[in-house]
This record gives sequence, C-alpha cells and structure tokens, in this order.
Amino acid sequence: MAYMTNLYDSSKCTACRGCMIACKEWNQLPAVMEPFKGNYSTHDDTNGDTFTIIKFMEEEDPVDGIRWNFIKFNCFHCLDPACMKVCPQQAYSKTEWGATIHDPDKCIGCQYCTYACPFHIPKYRKREDKITKCTFCADRVAEGLTPACARTCPANALKFGDRAELLAEAEERVKFLRTNGFPRATIYGKLELGGLNNIYVLTDTPDKFGLPVDPHIPKQIPFWQDWVQPWLGWLIPLALAGSATSFVTTRILANKHAGHEEPGEHVERGHE
Amino acid sequence: MQLVPEYREDLERVERFNLVARVTHWGHTVTFLLCLFTGLVLFVDGADWLAAIFGGYGGAGLIHRIAAVFLTLFIVFFVVFDFKGIINWIKDLLRFGKNDIIFVMKFPLEFLGFPVKIPPQTRFNGGEKGNSMVTPTMVILLVISGYIMWFPSIFPAGLVRVAYPTHDIAMVFATLMVCMHGYLGSFHPGSGESFWGMWKGTVRKDWAQHHHAIWYEETYANKDKEEEA
Repeated sequence: MAYMTNLYDSSKCTACRGCMIACKEWNQLPAVMEPFKGNYSTHDDTNGDTFTIIKFMEEEDPVDGIRWNFIKFNCFHCLDPACMKVCPQQAYSKTEWGATIHDPDKCIGCQYCTYACPFHIPKYRKREDKITKCTFCADRVAEGLTPACARTCPANALKFGDRAELLAEAEERVKFLRTNGFPRATIYGKLELGGLNNIYVLTDTPDKFGLPVDPHIPKQIPFWQDWVQPWLGWLIPLALAGSATSFVTTRILANKHAGHEEPGEHVERGHE
Repeated sequence: MQLVPEYREDLERVERFNLVARVTHWGHTVTFLLCLFTGLVLFVDGADWLAAIFGGYGGAGLIHRIAAVFLTLFIVFFVVFDFKGIINWIKDLLRFGKNDIIFVMKFPLEFLGFPVKIPPQTRFNGGEKGNSMVTPTMVILLVISGYIMWFPSIFPAGLVRVAYPTHDIAMVFATLMVCMHGYLGSFHPGSGESFWGMWKGTVRKDWAQHHHAIWYEETYANKDKEEEA
C-alpha cells in the first residue's frame, strides 16, 4: 500500500485551531490549561494530552515587516522513526500506509523515545506512566475515514491522501508561492530525515516556523542501538563463562599438582 | 568441595579493610545487584520474566530508583567517614608500575590455576588496581547518567541523549568487572582469603606477606620489629 500522508499548507491555514479540537474529541483527550504566555499559542509544545497544536510565530522582517506564521505541529510520522529504534519494548510500529503508532499496553514509560525524537514529540503522560503521541488516527484510516484533523479543516489547509500525489501537489504549490510573494517558500518533509510522512508547504524557511532546518537523529542513537545494545552486553556472559571455566580448571589442576596440600592452603600458587 | 578457604582464627591475622570500607563494599554489593537486575529488564530484550520478579516494569523501576539512591548514599557515607581511606586507595592505584604489569600479564595462567611466580605487590595487586580504577569510574558514570535520566527536564536534552548510551556502556563494564571481582574474591582458590579481608576485615598474616609483600612490609613490618625488640 502506498504511503498516505497529511499535506499541511501554511499559506492556507487560518489558525482556527479546529484541528486541535477535532483531535481532542476523537482521541477523547482532556483539556490542558496553560497560562497566557504573551502570544496566541495555546500551548508551547505538545503534551501527554495534546497531540497536535497550532503554533503562532511572529516574525519581523526588515523588508516584509511583521509576518505571522502559523504551523500545525504534531508527530511527523518519520518514514524511519528514531522512537521505534530506541524503544526497549517494541511499543512502536509502522502501519503499512506509513503511520507511526504507539501501543500503550507495551509502553513502560521509560521515555527513551522522547529524547531520541528530533522533534521531541512523544510525551510522557504522568497519570498513566506512559508515553502518548499523535496516532495519525490510524483507527479512522483503517475504517476508510480521514484523520480527524484533516477531516475538520475548513480552509483546506490540511489534506489527507496518497503521499506521491500530495508531494506533486506541494511542489506545484511551492512554485506558485515562490512567484507570488513568498520567494523562500519550501517543502518540509520530502527530504528531511529521509522523508517524513507529513508534508508541509511553508511560506518561509523552516526555522521561521520553529522547525529544525536540517533535523537529524542524534549520532549516539545508532551507536547505542546497533552496537552497544546488541553486542557489548555479551561481555557479561563472557565474564561468567570465564569464571566458570576457571572454577573448574583451578580445582582440577590443584588436584593434579598438589595432593599433599591441605584444603584451603593454596598460598603457594594463589595471587589475587 | 570447598568454595571459600576456611577462616583460620588460630593463625595470626592482620587488618586489611576497616569497618567503613566493608560497610560501603557490601552496601554497594546489594544496591548494585538490585540496580543491575532491575535495570536488565530494559537492556535485555524480552526480559518480562525478570521484570515479573520485581512486580512488573513499574515495580522494577521503583526498586531501581530506591536502590540507586542507597547506592549513592553509600558513596557519600564512604567519603564522609573515611575520606583518608579513599585518598590512600587512590595513592595506591597511582603506584601502578612494573610489578603490576607483570602481574596482569601472568594473571591469565594463574586465573586458570597454573602455578606462576609473581613479583611482590602493593596493597592492591595489578588486577585489583585495574578493578579499583574501572569499577568506581563506571559506577560514578552510572550515578551521574542515572540522575540525568531520572530528572530529564532539568538537564539539557543533549545531555539526556548522551546519558542513555553512557548508562548502558558503564553498566556493561561495571558488571563485567563485578562478575570477575565476585569470582576472584571468593571461589578462586588463590584469592579466596581476600574474601575474609572484606568480610571480617582481617587476612592471614602469611597470606598477606605472600600476596601483598610490599603492603605488608610497609604497614606491619615495623610493628613486627617493635614486638621482637
């Protein structure tokens, strides 16, 4: 099955936050009140009960003046997700259409994924001692529906569909934007981290939207997961096997060499 | 079959480890092993049965943290009550020299039970010096990375990311040393007497003279002379 993706177009988004509400409703997430922080964003970051947020970013440009950038921020459903790599309980899996889903029954709340994720997306839900994050409404998609956020978007800024088709559409859109007042417009999610399963059309460079320009999986993660975790640990059974060997051979050799020795009197040889 | 050499009260004995050192040692034995087995549930894939012993992953996590706090407290205890002992210990480690290198090179044969001649050793022989350098270093790394992972929100994310592999690597090397140390300090016929050094605090005088000749000379030889005089 081809990858199914959300295409988010920041040039069309009106920041109505309908997607946030739809997400809360479908996933039955309680409201999380946060104090006013001096801008329109309801939350600085996603949290254990808020899978998607709209960020409001004020941008002052010497030529363009003030710009107000909106972005829907949630799990990017990386095609090669770091969270899945580090999870010691294999709680993460990819659906055949590209959603990265997390099984709370397997999760033990260790939070390895939170710090492996280049976007810091998986969040700890304290009351359950588990990690939560956007599910891409995999349950809805399995029934032939579109994700709740895409379903509700009144401005058509969010569109769910075939990844290849939406990528082509995004390219067309960026070409249009670049010649119509947004020369720095770009696509996010086509090349980043080898491909994200959420395509973003941005009217400016990613850093103006609070996104890492060149996200990367921290280097220690492949080192940790591909070398330390599977191989280094074998030193321990090796030490135990060495001790067991020595336990046997020392006693065999003791019987051979020194029949006259009193038990426990090994001072002639022993040295540790 | 005899596992550990008999504790001989009839023979003359000399003190090897004071009470503070012994309490710290055995405190760390218990807390380290608790941390190890509760931690392995995450390191070893499919260790559900191991987690079950501690009441599931939640229980294992709780015990891991409690044991870790006590492990830290034993370090503090050692520093507070026997700081001089730590300094002397480090001083002895810094004496790593030719005799220690010879010891380490010949040790594999001794380990298997072949008779070998080994040059006189200081308070800690070449192998013990290695263990004394690696294990505490690894445990300190474990403690630091552990608290970083426990309270990730108050540390920079980059540090938290490094803490995870560090904790694993330090765990493997510490456990490797602990396995060898546990065996050599007890069931290995040549070194078994050192078990009593850590358990009761004293070792046989003849054993000390033979195994740690330099240490014995420096610590007890003068007293012997005084007694003779």
